[in-house]
Amino acid sequence: MGLDEPWILQFVHYFGQVTSGDLGRSIISNRPVLDELSEALGPTVELVLSALSLAVPLGITLGVIAAIYRGGMLDRAIMALAVAGISLPVFWVAYMLILILGVQWNLLPFTGRLGPIWTLEGLQGLALPALTAAFTLVGPIARISRTAVLETLYAEHVRLARAKGVPEHKVVVKHGLRNALLPIVTLVGLQIGHLLGGTVIIETIYAWPGVGRLVVGAIMNSDYATAQGGLLLMACIFVAVNLIVDLLYSTLDPRLS
Amino acid sequence: MTPTGTGQSISPRSAKRRRRAKGGVATAMAVAILAVIVGVALLAPVLAPYDPYEVDLSAALQPPGSAHLLGTDMQGRDLLSRIMYGTRLTLLTSLTALVSGSVVGALLGLAAVFFPSSDAVIGRLLDILLSFPAILFGLALGASLGPGLLPVTIALSIATVPEVGRIARAAGLTIARQEYMQSGRAIGLGKTTLFFKYLAWNCMPTIFVFLTLRFGFIILLGAGLNFLGLGAAPPAAELGVLAAEGRNVLAFAPHVATYPSLTIFLLVLSLNVLGDVLRDKLDKRLL
Repeated sequence: MGLDEPWILQFVHYFGQVTSGDLGRSIISNRPVLDELSEALGPTVELVLSALSLAVPLGITLGVIAAIYRGGMLDRAIMALAVAGISLPVFWVAYMLILILGVQWNLLPFTGRLGPIWTLEGLQGLALPALTAAFTLVGPIARISRTAVLETLYAEHVRLARAKGVPEHKVVVKHGLRNALLPIVTLVGLQIGHLLGGTVIIETIYAWPGVGRLVVGAIMNSDYATAQGGLLLMACIFVAVNLIVDLLYSTLDPRLS
Repeated sequence: MTPTGTGQSISPRSAKRRRRAKGGVATAMAVAILAVIVGVALLAPVLAPYDPYEVDLSAALQPPGSAHLLGTDMQGRDLLSRIMYGTRLTLLTSLTALVSGSVVGALLGLAAVFFPSSDAVIGRLLDILLSFPAILFGLALGASLGPGLLPVTIALSIATVPEVGRIARAAGLTIARQEYMQSGRAIGLGKTTLFFKYLAWNCMPTIFVFLTLRFGFIILLGAGLNFLGLGAAPPAAELGVLAAEGRNVLAFAPHVATYPSLTIFLLVLSLNVLGDVLRDKLDKRLL
């Protein structure tokens, strides 16, 4: 392994290996780390994407409703829920969902991935982990959507739209929300990073065979090659997501390109 | 602040008063909850009814009752006492991390303002730190140093540095434009005085409010790392560890996981409410 070399040489060595697709072998399973990671990547992406598809529409809707009824009961209720949602530990959300939906009502399984996403079993197995992950996202998205929409709703062009008789729902969606998308997209991009962190805990609780669980297991077993590879992969995903968000800016706001 | 300009809305006075009243109640409750939790954590050795490490297998997994107010865990240890000591440990690690991380972050951010030639280097350094999710540092340190409270504290500290640095830099840029900075320079004050007494001192409110908001996040992150087993080793009482211990008995003794989690929730919630109120009072544009 070259552990007797100076660390800078070790790093150059490791870097050379990584660029040629060799992440070493797991000392637990004696399989190439790359194989283990590519198997784990699918379930994690599945989890992240389904959580996003639940949380983004819900969060934006709640934020827009709160902005429309600014200062009213609905606004305060939604914002109180959002703060509470932000303050909940992820593992407790998972526990509550398991207890209520899994154990008490016996509606959904919580024993890991039961199959590919296009099968019924797969969807059922995905439901609770995805709900847990989505739950942690709704609060921040609702808060930023409310702030962003509020800022645009009092802009001159929205006043003009109202004055010329555009229906209120069109004012809110086309003139308010459309112009508020930039900060929302930025936040969602950042939240994907936090979500990757959150999935580590969620995957561990639900025995979901993703990257996060692989990394935690590897750390516990001092399986350095796997832990290193997994962390490298997560960092790469995060950087890639940020890049995509940056590229989206010019599509969302043509003035920026 | 008085609403000015055309873009501002002018809300009815009654609504404003109601908001202020509601903010007052929420703030008071948040402060009260915080005071109780911190007080109990400080006085844990005095207040705890039992030894948090005393095993009594005959009293295992008792539900909350008169002998054990919050029940007992799998090894019959009193949950209330464990939570009291756990809160102590949780607060200690996250506060240590917050303070150390914010001192480094604030110094970096302000140095970037004060010494413009260093802005590029410090700015990039903060960007690099910002570009990784905080939990990755925890996992990476856990991987290289092995599980323990020290790696978790270091990870939480590193997670604090870039965000505080960014806020300090933004706050410093507005302060640096103020006339008193120029006046101070003109009357020949030393760089140390200018930096600490003029620049840093005036950035303190902004940084402090941001730290209130950040503290909750740091506590959640630390609890998460401890929950995963990367922090305190099992016999130790730490809120995340306690919540993890309740996992295997969740179905028939949910109190073991619930009360530690509830403590974390109340702590973080009151910090977030307090931070929001303080931020509204200060300046919304910076944070």
